[in-house]
Order: sequence, then C-alpha cells, then structure tokens
Amino acid sequence: MTRPAATALGSMTKGRDLVRDVTLDVDAVVVGTGAGGSIAARELARAGLSVVALEEGGHHTSLEFNQREEQMLPMLFQEGGGRSTSDLAIRILQGRGVGGSTVHNTNLCKRTPDQILELWSARYGVTGASPKEMLASFEAIERDLSVTEIPASMRNANNDALRRGIETLGWRGAPMKHNRVGCMQSGFCELGCAYNAKENALKIVIPQAVGSGAQVYADTRALRILVEGGRAVGVQAVASDADGRPVAMVNVRARAVVLGASAVGSAMLALASGLDDPHAQIGKGLRIHPGAVVAGRFDEPILAHKGIPQSYECTEHLSFEEGSDRRIWIIPAFAHPIGTASSFPGFGAPHMRAMRDYTRYSVLTAMLHDETSGEVSAGSDGRPVIRYDMTEADRSQLAKGLVACARILFAAGAKEVTIPAIPPVRLTRARDLDSLDTRFVRPHSIPMTAVHPMGTMRMGDDPRTSVVSSQGAHHSVKGLFVADGSLFPTSLGGPPQISIYAFALHLAPHVIDYVRRSL
Amino acid sequence: MESNDQRTPTSQGPEAQAAATPKPGRRRLLVAGIASGALVAIGSVVALVRTSGYDVPPQRARAFESLDAAQYVFVQHAARRIAAPDRDGDGAIPSPDDTDVAGFVDAYVAKMHPTVRRDLFRLFAYVEHIAPLRSGLRHRFTSLGPADQDRVLAALEAADEGLLRGGFEGLKALVFMGYYRDPRTWSILGYDGPTLKAPL
Repeated sequence: MTRPAATALGSMTKGRDLVRDVTLDVDAVVVGTGAGGSIAARELARAGLSVVALEEGGHHTSLEFNQREEQMLPMLFQEGGGRSTSDLAIRILQGRGVGGSTVHNTNLCKRTPDQILELWSARYGVTGASPKEMLASFEAIERDLSVTEIPASMRNANNDALRRGIETLGWRGAPMKHNRVGCMQSGFCELGCAYNAKENALKIVIPQAVGSGAQVYADTRALRILVEGGRAVGVQAVASDADGRPVAMVNVRARAVVLGASAVGSAMLALASGLDDPHAQIGKGLRIHPGAVVAGRFDEPILAHKGIPQSYECTEHLSFEEGSDRRIWIIPAFAHPIGTASSFPGFGAPHMRAMRDYTRYSVLTAMLHDETSGEVSAGSDGRPVIRYDMTEADRSQLAKGLVACARILFAAGAKEVTIPAIPPVRLTRARDLDSLDTRFVRPHSIPMTAVHPMGTMRMGDDPRTSVVSSQGAHHSVKGLFVADGSLFPTSLGGPPQISIYAFALHLAPHVIDYVRRSL
Repeated sequence: MESNDQRTPTSQGPEAQAAATPKPGRRRLLVAGIASGALVAIGSVVALVRTSGYDVPPQRARAFESLDAAQYVFVQHAARRIAAPDRDGDGAIPSPDDTDVAGFVDAYVAKMHPTVRRDLFRLFAYVEHIAPLRSGLRHRFTSLGPADQDRVLAALEAADEGLLRGGFEGLKALVFMGYYRDPRTWSILGYDGPTLKAPL
C-alpha cells in the first residue's frame, strides 16, 4: 500500500500503462476531472491534502487534437458521441477524458444567474449560495480561466447574422464571454483545441492540481464507492487499455470521496454503489437543456464553420422564473461536415444537394431552460440509462424557440429557413411563421441534442428533496461530497461550466474541513 | 437546406405537416417502443437463418474487425443510398464504395460498447429482413433495387416507432461519418478542411 506524503509532487498516470494492481491511501479521492472534479482536486491539494483524481477517459493533449471529427468524437466524447436518452430521441454530448467536457466545449462563460441562485435559496432550501456569497468564487474562477468578452472583430458571420437579426427585431442580445487566450479562430473548438488556446480544466486547472501534489489516474473508471459504517472510505476503480480492456485494479482508500463525474456519471456511480438513499432522490431531477436547430440559407457565404463558433447570444425569450413561458436561450450552432450531414434531414441525392449549400447556411439553436425532470439510472451493462420524457410545457417552449430562431434568420437576410423536422419544414417568408402549427416539434420528429446534464444529486437542506447538503455533503453517507453539475436543483438556462467550476471552488472548504477533522 | 423533397411537397402547409406527424402519447410511445424492440429482435432471429448469398472478397472478409459478410454487404447497400450522389455520372463525387464507408463502419463499430454493437447489429438485421416486408416488398434489402431501397429507408426515417427512427438516425450518422471523413468529398461542400495537415 502506498501512502504518498502530502507534500509530494503530483503525477499524471495513464491507467493503460499499469502492469499491476494499485492500492493507494490518501486524504481524498476525486472521481472525474472536468470542471468540478479538477477544481476539487486542485483545492484539496493546495490545502495540503493528499489527493487522487480518477478519470475514466484518457489524458489527451492539444498535440493529439487533429480536427478530424471521426477521430476526435471517439477520443473526447462519452460513447463516441453516441450517448442518447434511452428512447434515442435526444443525443447527449458529454466529454470523456482529463478535462471532461471543458476540452470540447465552446468556452461559453456565464455566471449562475442571480435569479437562479435566489430561486434555489427560496424554493429548494439551498443556503450559503446567494449571489453575494458566490461572488468571490465566480470572480476567482474568471481570473483563473482568463475570462473575457469576445470582441466584435472576432465575431464570425454566423454569429453576426444572429446579432443582425435580433437588432433588426429589437430583441435583447449581447456578446458572450469566453475562456480562451491566443485563439487562432480555426473553428474546431468542439473537437478540442489544436492550438491549446482553451483556458480549461485540461490546460489550467489539472496542471495546477498536479503541481500542488494531486495524483491523476487517467483511463481509470470508478466502479463503486466504498462505504463502511455509514462513511465513505474510498473508491474501487479499474484501469483499462486503449481498447477498453481492463489491465489493473486501482483501489483507493480515502477519508473523503468527492464526485465530479457529471450529472450522469456521478449519479450512476452513486446508484451502482448502492448508497443509502431513503427518499430515492439519487438520479432524479435530471435537466439537460435540450436544443434543436434552425438553418437559414443566405445568398452570400457565411462560412459558419470558420471562426469562434458561439460568441453572441439572444436572451429575448429567456427568463428564470419557474413556470415562465420564456425559457429559451438562442445561440449560433454549427458543425463540421459529419455533424452537419448527420443533422440535416433526409438522405440520398436531396441530402447531398442540401449539403452543397454548406458554406451558405447560418444555423441557430434554441436551447431550452427545461423544467422536465429526467432520471439517470445504472444499466446492467455499465452504461447509464437516461430517461427524459419531455413535458408538454417544455415541448411548447422549444417550439416557440424554433420559431424565434426562424424570425431572427429571416430578419438577418436568410432567403430560406428550414426546421429540420421529419418531414422538414421549409419557409421562404417570415410571415409564414405567424400561422405555423408547431405541434410537429417533439422528440423523434425533430433532432434534439443536449450538452448540459445537471441536477441528479441536488443540493438542499431537506433530505426528502435533495441528495446532498448545501455544503455538498451527502445527507447520510459521511465523507461523501459532490462537486459537479449534479448539485444544481434546477436548470441554469445557460452554459454551466462557470457555475460548476465556481460551486466546486465554493464547496471545497467543506471537504477540507471534514478531512482535517477526521485525521 | 433540402431533403427528400418528393416526400415533402413544399405546397403542403405547415398545418397539414403537423397533422401528418405522429403525436404519440405515453402509452403509444410505450407500445411503439416495445413493438419496435420486438421487430428488431425478430430481425436478429431471421438474420441467423438468412445469411447466405453475401459475397465479400476473401481478403476483405479476413480483415473484418466487427462485421460479418452479411452485415458488411448490408452497410455497403445502405451507404450507397444514404450517401447517393445528387448528380449522376459526376466523376467528382466519390461513391460510398470509393470512400470505403463499409470498411470504416467495420472498424468504428469494433470500438463500440458491446451492448451498442449488439443493438446496431439487430437494427441491421431488421432493416435487411423485416423493414422491406413492412414496406410491402418481398425481398431482403440488399436484393432490392435503389428505388425500393430508398422506400424502405424513407419509411424507417418516418416510422411511428421512435426507436426505429432513432436507429435510422444512428445508421445515417455512421454512413455520413464514413463518407464525409474523406477529403475527396469536401469539394462537394466547399469545405476547405482542417487547418492542420497531418492527421494522427
């Protein structure tokens, strides 16, 4: 058994290289190395605790990010980008590998809206996380990640079409902030940045964690949380080779276990571990921000695949009150050829004719600030089962969002607008939208994608309605903490990475305090 | 953006389109899910007994990573229709065979989770053996002419059963990944490709 000194230099181990089982004894083990897990590992290590972070995926760097969809999807995404809800209606894109989804995301940075934090306090019993109490964490994360607003000079034509459209309509919109430095505007953000310009968990936070003594094990999947006498005492994990074949067991004894494996991964691990869950809350309350796209064809080249993919937003139809009928966030969305071909409706010759206009499309996505409550459970084959039965209210919201996208595109000058339903809806005049019957907008009749799973191990001070306390501590299993998007009691209505980073930072002192008291 | 427009007359109003679109309730979805699952399972059983007549060069067959001969031939046929060219005889458009879509799918599927791979193979068998029957055709998919193959695929894309629609989307995504990964296809789109020269 190895017990590294707390002051030892950290390390990055590729599980695929292990030749025998490993047993470790540390102060804390963190599961997952995305936004939440990386911050947890860093903060604990900085506090002088011995920390091991386990990452299911590989450790890949910018030198490997070669901008090829067919190679990056299997490398950087869960299930090769093929993860979906159990009914196959909604594709769920989640990162896999050191850095998690921060490796492939498009760097959007927004703080948790004040109204959301206040809602969590008033309605969900979350304490200590008011806008004022969270401010320092947001500011610290934004400094760490060099968050700045994207200037107009770096806005591509797709984003400028959004800006032009909403200005023409008199709607609300704004430039967005990002965490990127030295961006080459190549447009391949979703495939990992070959130029290493993303100030993300992979580039910034994990190296800081390792520099402070954390040991990171990539290719190492947590199998179960070890619980003894009502106390989390470690994690049993398995390291695998590049083809997924197990090569060694990694057994970690720890005084605290921190889950940072996403709203899907953390909940699934908790369920697979058979944790005490008297009110059956684990895995419940899943939110995913489902979205669908609308494409506008312009006479002039848009070249939406070039430049920063998402730098402007429309918030005209977004408010944060529960039950609001304005729950749509609109941003540009575009993909490289494989992603575009897969999302265009139809097949065969008509599909190829449509693809010939690839460079002249502007595409927007309507992303739903959802209130549907989905569920994650652990499948018998080790994969998550994700159930998400969209409510009529949410379906109706999404339909309104698609109509709003179409209005923006027409206002920006699109000659034809297509909603890629089956069958597709093609319009050439904005006034046709006035009479559009949008009942066709529903799962399975229109391609939907979700990139923001949240809320399966919700925080709150009432164990009947939440899984962890407002300090991120499991209500009944001592020494078990959550530090990722699982915490959120509701949808955020915007990109979650800053919220996840900041909550992990905000809650880390509670883990540190617990470990120190248990020594 | 354009699709299989023969199935989507632009003169058809949005109301008619909405009316034509299935609006499944929870019960119907459940029934459809079970039904489509059962159909796919039947397809896999049928596939066990109807695997003759699929000719693959021995050298290729020996190199298979995940598919068998029947599955490989099925993917070839499906790819030829899903990625069919829009201009007959245009030598600038590589065919799915030129870009070895089936070979790509063979290698890609080999890395999939075993459960996903199993479900995918069931879908292949369903489309090959059962889907033509549901479209009133009495031959397996790979024995049909192009127009009938398109008919089967179109029916699958618009199937009442959500799992079948989802399955079609998965098949389509695999085919297009195999097709549009090839730089020879990029001129069709006006896509100038990655900024980096050397792939892994």
